[in-house]
Amino acid sequence: MSQMSSSQHSQIASVNVTNLVQQFEQRTLFSVDSLTFRQGDVIYLQGDNGTGKSTLMKILAGLLKPTQGKLIATGFDKSAWWHTNSLLGKAVYLHQHPYLFDGSVRYNLTYGLSRRELQQPTISQRLHQAIEMAQLSQLLDHSASNLSGGERQRLAIARAWICQPKLLMLDEPISNMDKHSQKLVLAMINLLKMQGTGLLISSHQTCGLTALCQQHWHINHQKIHTSQHVPNLDTQQDNLAMEPSYVLAK
Amino acid sequence: MNESWLALLQQAFSLLLSFDPDVWSIINVSFSVSFAALLLTLIPSIMLGFVLAFSHFPGRWIVTNLVQTLQSIPTVVIGLLVYLLLTRNGAMGDLKWLFSQNAMIFGQMLICAPVLIALSQAAFASVDKRAWETSRTLGASWIRAIWTVCRELRVALLLAIVAAFSRILTEVGCSMMVGGNIMNVTRNIPTAIALETSKGDFAQAIALGLVLLILALVLNFALGSLRGKALPRSH
Repeated sequence: MSQMSSSQHSQIASVNVTNLVQQFEQRTLFSVDSLTFRQGDVIYLQGDNGTGKSTLMKILAGLLKPTQGKLIATGFDKSAWWHTNSLLGKAVYLHQHPYLFDGSVRYNLTYGLSRRELQQPTISQRLHQAIEMAQLSQLLDHSASNLSGGERQRLAIARAWICQPKLLMLDEPISNMDKHSQKLVLAMINLLKMQGTGLLISSHQTCGLTALCQQHWHINHQKIHTSQHVPNLDTQQDNLAMEPSYVLAK
Repeated sequence: MNESWLALLQQAFSLLLSFDPDVWSIINVSFSVSFAALLLTLIPSIMLGFVLAFSHFPGRWIVTNLVQTLQSIPTVVIGLLVYLLLTRNGAMGDLKWLFSQNAMIFGQMLICAPVLIALSQAAFASVDKRAWETSRTLGASWIRAIWTVCRELRVALLLAIVAAFSRILTEVGCSMMVGGNIMNVTRNIPTAIALETSKGDFAQAIALGLVLLILALVLNFALGSLRGKALPRSH
């Protein structure tokens, strides 16, 4: 279903999916004729709850096999012959509620590095940068399970960043976060954008996140619509917020 | 009566502490056979538990129920099955394993495997799927991802290993039938306790029983200390 073409390092990494149909039991979740997620793209993925945003991201990350469709990944390092799913580890997917492994913050941060053939100085440099970026230096040897929601999300993004993925998918990266953590996560996402990482971001909140996006994918009526125009969701949400939904008792 | 109990306990301790060759030969047979059976079964059983928990092949439901049923089969029935297989006219008679440690290991493997498979399947079924997905998306090979999941479930998996080991170390039926209770060859702790009790030699039976009790205590304390560190986690 998915395949990796042998390509040079300089080539722009992308995942292209054609004739994609995803079903859940008998129900079609979404379908699309063609979709391409490239390095350098910053895409805002919109859709109501249950429309399949996370499912689409997992398909593009190689974590889920689509009901129908063909995935072609280009521009990545060639996988070893024994890797049956060449997408895994290339386009990184970050869960809405990130999973942190049982262990220290350091263990979690360096988890993705062990498979990559990197020199020790490079590992140390990346680790240092990631800690600074996520502001986790005080917590490096603490247990990851004791972190707050915002710290967990920052750690998860730093853990993905340290692997220097060419494509990164962020599922609701700033949901349920305080302003300080939101600011830090936005800075991290901005840095990833400047480094040329392809980003696919789903979010119900706007808060500057959509301002970073250059493309818009919208899952609506079981179809994925793509456009180069990112709607001003702040206005939409402000209007919604102004509508009185309940009355406070005095 | 109290005095006789005390005297028996005293004799039992002196047998253990004086390194009585007969007693320690029995302990040695017991542990070497049961460790061998556990080691040979461990990885395939945990892998099968993983497969049963994570994959959805046709017939998975039947295999799961079959494994769970096998857990409750009496050890004498497994002993009977192994005996029939290993007897001279049996399907595996050419191996000439009957009344040897190999026969005991084979029988204990059959007893141990269902416990390990069922308990590891239950442990894997309880794991957060995001652990696997996170590991894989960060580039871990499937072997490393399995290792990561096992690490996340280490307390539950250790519990499965201890339960399986306890079952084979303490079983009498199968060892008696296929081992033959031959001194210095196939006489292990449970078969020796049964024999010595029937002979009225309670001191040796108590000494061997103490070994099992001490082992149970050590294993439970070790598990308890691990469980103490594994605090409930918030996701």
